[in-house]
Amino acid sequence: MLTSTPHIDRRQLLDFGSHGLAAIALAQLLGENADGAPQLPARARRAIQICLVGGLSHVDSFDYKPGLDRNHGKTLKTDEAPDIFFGKVGLLRRSDWTFRQRGESGLWISDMFPRIAENADELTLLRSMVTDSANHTPALFMLNSGFGANGFPSTGSWLSYALGNESESLPTFVVLPDARGGPNGGASNWSSGFLPAQHQAVIFRGGKQPVRDLFPAKPQGPGSDRAVQEFLSTLGRHELSQRNNDSLLAARIRSYELAARMQTSVPEVSDLSSEPQHIHELYGLNDKRTADCGRRCLLGRRLLERGVRFVQIYSGGPIAGSPRASWDAHESVRSNHGLEASRIDQPVGALLADLRQRGMLDDTLVLFTTEFGRTPFAQSAANSVGPGRDHNRYGFSGWMAGGGVKRGRSHGATDEIGWKAVEQPMPWHDFHATLLYLLGIDHTRLTYYHNGIQRRLTNVKGEVHTGLLN
Amino acid sequence: MEYPLKDTREQMNKIRLNHLLCLPLVAATLAAADAADKPVDFDRQIAPLLASRCLECHSGPSPKGKLDLSDRGRSLRGGETGPALVPRRAADSLVWVRIMQDDMPPKHPLPKTERTLLHRWISEGARWGTNPIDRFRYTTESRAGYNWWSLLPLAPPVPPAITAETKRHSRWPRNDIDRFVLARLVRQGLSPAPAASPRALIRRLFVDLHGLPPDPGTVAAFVANPSETAYETLVDRLLASPHYGERWGRHWLDVVRFGESNGFERNAPRTTFWHYRDWVIQALNQDMPYDRFAQLQLAGDLILPGVEGAAAAGFLVAGVHNTVVGGSKRMKLLARQDELEELVGTVGQTFLGLTINCGRCHDHKFDPIPSSEYYRVVAALDGVVHGERDVAQPEQAARQAIVDTQIRSLQQRLALLETRARASVLKARKKKAPTKTPSPDLPRPTASWNFDSDFRDSIGSLHGRPVGGARLEKGAVVVDGKTAYVQTAKLTKPLAEKTLEAWVQLANLTQRGGGVISIQASGGGVFDAIVYGEREPGHWMAGSNGFVRTRSFAGSVETMATTKPVHFAISYQADGTITGYRNGRLYGKAYRTGFQKYSAGNAEIVFGLRHAPAGGNKMLSARILQARLYDRALSPKAIAASAGAESEFVSARSLLAAMTANERTQHAVLGKQLTTLETESRKLATLARAKLYTVTPRQPEKMRIHIRGSVTNYGPTVTPGGISAVPGLPADFGLAADAPDSSRRRKLAAWITSPQNPLFTRVMVNRVWHYHFGRGIVSTPSDFGFNGARPSHPRLLEWLAARFTADGFRIKSLHRTILLSATYRQASRPRPLPLARDANNRLLWRMSPRRIEAEVLRDSILAVAGQLDITRGGPGFVDVSITPNNGTTYYEPFDKNDPALNRRTIYRFTPRGGRSAVLDTFDCPDPSIAAPRRNVTTTPLQALSLLNNAFVLRMAAYFATRIADDVGDDIDRQITRGWQLAVQHAPDPRQRRLSRKLIRNHGLPTLCRALFNTNDFIIIE
Repeated sequence: MLTSTPHIDRRQLLDFGSHGLAAIALAQLLGENADGAPQLPARARRAIQICLVGGLSHVDSFDYKPGLDRNHGKTLKTDEAPDIFFGKVGLLRRSDWTFRQRGESGLWISDMFPRIAENADELTLLRSMVTDSANHTPALFMLNSGFGANGFPSTGSWLSYALGNESESLPTFVVLPDARGGPNGGASNWSSGFLPAQHQAVIFRGGKQPVRDLFPAKPQGPGSDRAVQEFLSTLGRHELSQRNNDSLLAARIRSYELAARMQTSVPEVSDLSSEPQHIHELYGLNDKRTADCGRRCLLGRRLLERGVRFVQIYSGGPIAGSPRASWDAHESVRSNHGLEASRIDQPVGALLADLRQRGMLDDTLVLFTTEFGRTPFAQSAANSVGPGRDHNRYGFSGWMAGGGVKRGRSHGATDEIGWKAVEQPMPWHDFHATLLYLLGIDHTRLTYYHNGIQRRLTNVKGEVHTGLLN
Repeated sequence: MEYPLKDTREQMNKIRLNHLLCLPLVAATLAAADAADKPVDFDRQIAPLLASRCLECHSGPSPKGKLDLSDRGRSLRGGETGPALVPRRAADSLVWVRIMQDDMPPKHPLPKTERTLLHRWISEGARWGTNPIDRFRYTTESRAGYNWWSLLPLAPPVPPAITAETKRHSRWPRNDIDRFVLARLVRQGLSPAPAASPRALIRRLFVDLHGLPPDPGTVAAFVANPSETAYETLVDRLLASPHYGERWGRHWLDVVRFGESNGFERNAPRTTFWHYRDWVIQALNQDMPYDRFAQLQLAGDLILPGVEGAAAAGFLVAGVHNTVVGGSKRMKLLARQDELEELVGTVGQTFLGLTINCGRCHDHKFDPIPSSEYYRVVAALDGVVHGERDVAQPEQAARQAIVDTQIRSLQQRLALLETRARASVLKARKKKAPTKTPSPDLPRPTASWNFDSDFRDSIGSLHGRPVGGARLEKGAVVVDGKTAYVQTAKLTKPLAEKTLEAWVQLANLTQRGGGVISIQASGGGVFDAIVYGEREPGHWMAGSNGFVRTRSFAGSVETMATTKPVHFAISYQADGTITGYRNGRLYGKAYRTGFQKYSAGNAEIVFGLRHAPAGGNKMLSARILQARLYDRALSPKAIAASAGAESEFVSARSLLAAMTANERTQHAVLGKQLTTLETESRKLATLARAKLYTVTPRQPEKMRIHIRGSVTNYGPTVTPGGISAVPGLPADFGLAADAPDSSRRRKLAAWITSPQNPLFTRVMVNRVWHYHFGRGIVSTPSDFGFNGARPSHPRLLEWLAARFTADGFRIKSLHRTILLSATYRQASRPRPLPLARDANNRLLWRMSPRRIEAEVLRDSILAVAGQLDITRGGPGFVDVSITPNNGTTYYEPFDKNDPALNRRTIYRFTPRGGRSAVLDTFDCPDPSIAAPRRNVTTTPLQALSLLNNAFVLRMAAYFATRIADDVGDDIDRQITRGWQLAVQHAPDPRQRRLSRKLIRNHGLPTLCRALFNTNDFIIIE
């Protein structure tokens, strides 16, 4: 065991544990004792992010715009060509949903998300998000890594690198893709980029093999798995004693021990049957529409409970296809968003309620994001009000809830019609800086050297939006 | 100068210190020079101070507060708030006032010693020196100047002599490398490690140079005779093998971020970009001088016409390419500048170890690279545009036509010679046996091999190639029963009914199981073959996979086949009837069983081997004189005719015997010429025309400085050029702002590869060192700037660089020097004392043990399982599904039992974002970004992947089959063979005991699965 290997080089012991590389690195970064204490007071210890792929229409959901209602059917007044995707600028279109004030806070949220709206008093609505690209893939990359191109580490990988994990036998960063498929850009969205491979996301799927290669691809003879493990462990320990406790050998032995533990812990956490029936009901597991997202929200909660640091849940698969399996409502916001929302509203609402009732919301962040919003004008001919909306990178909405953020508030604002962010615009660099801050990390000091540059999640930008901090 | 041991970039990453915050900002030289009685020296003391503290903001075209402190006049005049400098009156000088108020420099108050110095200077009259201040001139504690170590001209040192301290180890050094290493070790009170065992050394060498483990026979031979000569021979042999380029080409592809899709949103595949990969492999195998290697990558399309030059220039477009750049003009300009920044970054980092790209928005923060010079390099590369070229080479095509005419003429002359000889042989035979008449209607084969002068199919295209030492001798192919066999090209048409036929003379009648002729598919998983003595000693049989189509013919025992050739044929009818014939007569009884079809492209013929993988009792020991394949089941009559036609068959030996001495010589010469020309014709055919992804140059625009990287705010025009801080050729290329692309890139290539450019050489020798030792002398191989690591052995680096230059930039010669050193040959076993003092082995007190890279892991598994397909070059194998979907492309890795996927990993089609499970887990970098140094991690996911992945389990099964084929059922022999194949040593008693237990309880495949997971397999000592 570890205690018997005095010369172990911790750099090579790249397990998922909180006492691995990351904690030590962070401690040294702070010039503190190696106790893993973050550099700022951490307001949250873990986070779960729901990513709506395709572009959620903010003016139909979280950004109440009476001005848009008033201007319905009018022309957008602008002297520049909007940078959208298809370039068809129709007339302004009012929301297809009714907005209501919710909870004690009186936050305006539409009927698209009635169950999430029940939790309005927990939310900080982000109503001034902006991004650089109106194309899905680069915009998704921006959301995840702060860069529009492939190859940069995703937020989850940075968090894994910075914070390590509270569990030894579960990964630090877990991604739960939509059952209908992965988002545009695929695995590049949760790449660890140039960070070491142990910070890459682990995908959890359903079925008997929840994690890739957790068990043999083909059934092996009874007892042979265990026999192989014993064979390796016996050989390894002997070699270790022969080779002066060489650190690389020690790390390999350890990695097989952890692998064996994962074979127990992963099926355990993935087995939702141990949850009581009312929890199944709460998350909508018994309803065909909500079962996929519900299962993943519940799994997400279980992962967080067991010490996983960052969980990402995707709503929406590939952008294209008919009917669409994402939020990319070019044809009709009403039918597309109506369907997509019905898949996730109850599960996400349940996640908030469940985390709260377990007392986890105090130190868990729930993030609800999309790569960009949708235009306040219809995607149609210049003199008509079509049913669909194009991409809008100038202003859109998301929300945060839980550890460290204000409750029942909105942050930032778009203009009268929801076209552009005008108050406290929040590019992804700011979002990431704020997220890191909430988790106790100064975004300017979380760096990794790559090819001549101390890389950061926030590149050379990023401002913490202190206004939304509790 | 000695550098502290801990100053490595890993260390920096480990603790992630922002060095701006933690390095003391006081320039030691400034304080040291502060002798109070001498007047302050502006150039030596004040200029560096201002440069490091003030000029970052207060200089350049738009200085902060309009105050420019780099110029004397402008300093006196001051900025927006008044005169900054009043000689002799510090209290009236705003510079001094703001410093005293701790306003400036913002957030970082000036240290006391520097304040004192500045005050003295102003009081003494603020005497100015060189004007304006060149803030890149001196290295300070916060940035590199022109005198930065890596920018100084090469200064080759004399290798340290043996001194009193190193005397104890005077016998250790084998070459000059060792003298440098030893001197450094001894100075730290350390000593070198003893030499590695021959077994460890040969394995290290094979993995290092080929990325594959050695075969047990080679290991045994070296272990038996590990002499210096044997080692040197081994090194030379490995460097000469084409596997060398496949291994080291992979390293280069890491550095240049080679990926076979565009990345970004569309991420379309680049199906013709493999030309660049093949070019890299070939260039390395040819030992192309490194300066040429670099020049062709920067300007190959301009230097060499045709495919080769265009392929080499693929370097310029190996990176990501945004094909969706948005509608607005701004977005398009921005995307173009992004692309150029990526390109300039790669060129600078690859060849110079400089992060020139940091100059896009501002002067480089750490290295002496002004933003204006960044744009000079951009100007030099602005002609580069991604695209696909259809390269025709009229010269090559014309040349091929000539060669083909020559081939035809040679064939005619050979035929003439042979016809004459054949006629005379047959005439002589007729005289001897006048009653025997040849059959009038011989069946026409689909393929026919005569094995006189080559392995070619004289009818179709199923040409054979010898493997494992198969050779032609006296009109037959000789196979040795151990390693030799012949394998043909893949079937071009599917085959259902068939007949296999061969004339064979066995070396002995007691052999058991060798194949004469075999049709096999899926790498040998499916086959039908003429097999001798496998189930019944001395009997012929129709061999098949798992004996599924094999029954006993119950034919006679063979007695004659050693004294003279025997004709054996087997016909396969669609209804499952299989019939054997010996010398044209029915052999025993026909029988009916299942029927196997073979598809085009997946099946081939092997001779002398029952089925792949080769080895064990599958190998035939015999001479095979002739063989034929028919695409139908021949009738008994047709077979009898064919067998009888033996009398018509004249072996090459008889042919030659019938010739005059003169004709024989002529025949040999012509045959040799023919082989050469045929090879050339094939080569020319591929060169004559090719479509390939490469640079499609454009006329560059006049380049202007983009102020702060903006695409809407332009500064002055710049002309194409390099970085003036780099010694060598002038950094101003002397070109006009509107010069054509060709002169820009040629000049850039010449400037970069100048022998006077010390960075060009230093960076490359360090790269080579890095891959041999797992860490460079500079541990940041693509960054020799201020942010990079300092060399652990600066003098050794200089020596290697000088030697490399003197050797004409020959990379193989550099390898040789390194590999022959005692430093390289050290054992890897850790020792407590040096481990405590230098845990990272910066001083090279041992060879660091290393986990093999992802590609080596996959290739080794394939090789050990006997499934590696060594087919070289051409389009890569594709193990991802490619799904274009509404403008974006998805790549999803799949697993499939398909021998076509069993090629070396460097030939894998590598789209961005489509990585396979095993490779991904073992730190194979995403090709979106350059990876001059790979991460090496050890994670539970690796363990799971290696234990459970479908590919690994499948290969474990093949591995087990291979072992059983090789040594049969005996468990102890299986264990020995398994260990030797996988880890190149026999198991010790403990390992044997554990292995035996595993096989007894769980079978041989389980041991094979376990062996792939052992430390011995994964770690190179």
